[in-house]
Amino acid sequence: MAVDFEPRIVGFLCNWCSYAGADMAGTARICYPSNIRIIRVPCSARIDPLLVVKAFQLGADGVLVAGCHPGDCHYTEGNYYSRRRFAMLHPFLEYLGIERERFWLQWVSASEGKKFSQVVSTFTDGLIKLGPRKAVTVQ
Amino acid sequence: MSAAMDQTAQIRQKARELLENKVVDCVIGYERATDGVNARPLFVYEPEEADRLIFDQTCTHNLTRYLLNRKGKPTAIVVKPCDSRAINLLLNESQLQREKIHIIGVVCPGVVERQWRQASAKLLNACQVCQQHVPVIYDVLVGELPSEPTVAEHYPDVVEMEAKSAEERQVFWKEQFSRCIRCYACRQACPGCYCPECFAERLDPLWVGIRIAPGENEVWNTIRAFHLAGRCIGCYQCEQVCPVDIPLSLLNRKLEKEVLGLFNFQAGMDAETSPPFSTFKKEEKLGIGE
Repeated sequence: MAVDFEPRIVGFLCNWCSYAGADMAGTARICYPSNIRIIRVPCSARIDPLLVVKAFQLGADGVLVAGCHPGDCHYTEGNYYSRRRFAMLHPFLEYLGIERERFWLQWVSASEGKKFSQVVSTFTDGLIKLGPRKAVTVQ
Repeated sequence: MSAAMDQTAQIRQKARELLENKVVDCVIGYERATDGVNARPLFVYEPEEADRLIFDQTCTHNLTRYLLNRKGKPTAIVVKPCDSRAINLLLNESQLQREKIHIIGVVCPGVVERQWRQASAKLLNACQVCQQHVPVIYDVLVGELPSEPTVAEHYPDVVEMEAKSAEERQVFWKEQFSRCIRCYACRQACPGCYCPECFAERLDPLWVGIRIAPGENEVWNTIRAFHLAGRCIGCYQCEQVCPVDIPLSLLNRKLEKEVLGLFNFQAGMDAETSPPFSTFKKEEKLGIGE
């Protein structure tokens, strides 16, 4: 099973850094797994934890949130807020039974095409190792 | 129960005074419920009604929720220590005007579980680990200051849950949430849940599907708890009103524990400090994204 398993990853990328970083990976012809489905958002602070929880509910195997490095936010301080938010959401998701490895927050700048590809590859490999999310049925 | 009798007498006297002097229009407190054992909320508008007020260990409600319906009207309210933190929270979030509320704080030894027509002696789980026996904000304090409380571990059940495997936790919560009937009583009882339009009632986008299904229930319960991260003051009204006994405080207290660990913050301890999500420090290390 693990061999054929292709994880579905939802990636929320900030418009100004990480999405441009993904673009950079593309123009530089750097390969990264096609498991990631990218959703472009204005800022990492736009990503309501609700979006992450909803993605997991609808069957995502992993969720990646990426934004500008702290200090580089296009809106000056958006990513500081998202850092606090996701620092709380991460242990909370784990507490609800979603493994730590399934949720990632990463800072990827517009020039870091290489880093973007590495992040996606490492994340995907980790998820393949972890296997699909188990369907739990309750009576 | 002499201490409780004493507190009742003092609350009555204070309420009568406030109404007679027209300091407030209304005193929100507790009275004996029709089953003769439990307590229920009471709104006193006339001085001669003040003798209906009581306070003892059956007074489980957090009455601060009702203050939100009396915005701008001078109101007195009886609060336990946990409820008093809700007042600080609401003041911080500009939902109340301090000069319009008169707070009758009661020293609280903990309240008991509600049982229909039966006097219970079992303290609520929350009260067994409570460290706060005196309100954090009050205009008048009713009751004797207690000697130093002895409390061991504040989050024993949370730690126990954390020690389980991810799969065990997933199964546990799936089972709990599958019982949810999404009556939203947890939201209605919560002093922190006052949004005029809740995300659960949005139709476009539809965040929480109308169907009562495990997945939808999970989204609701997760986000309800998360919206209270750093804001939950631990009155456990949500858990008390839950008709299907979902251990909601186990979620709230996990977040409380994380907030305490990461930001050294406890909600509602004063009205000035903002909750952790509405502020930040540039140089902090939170163990994520590094």
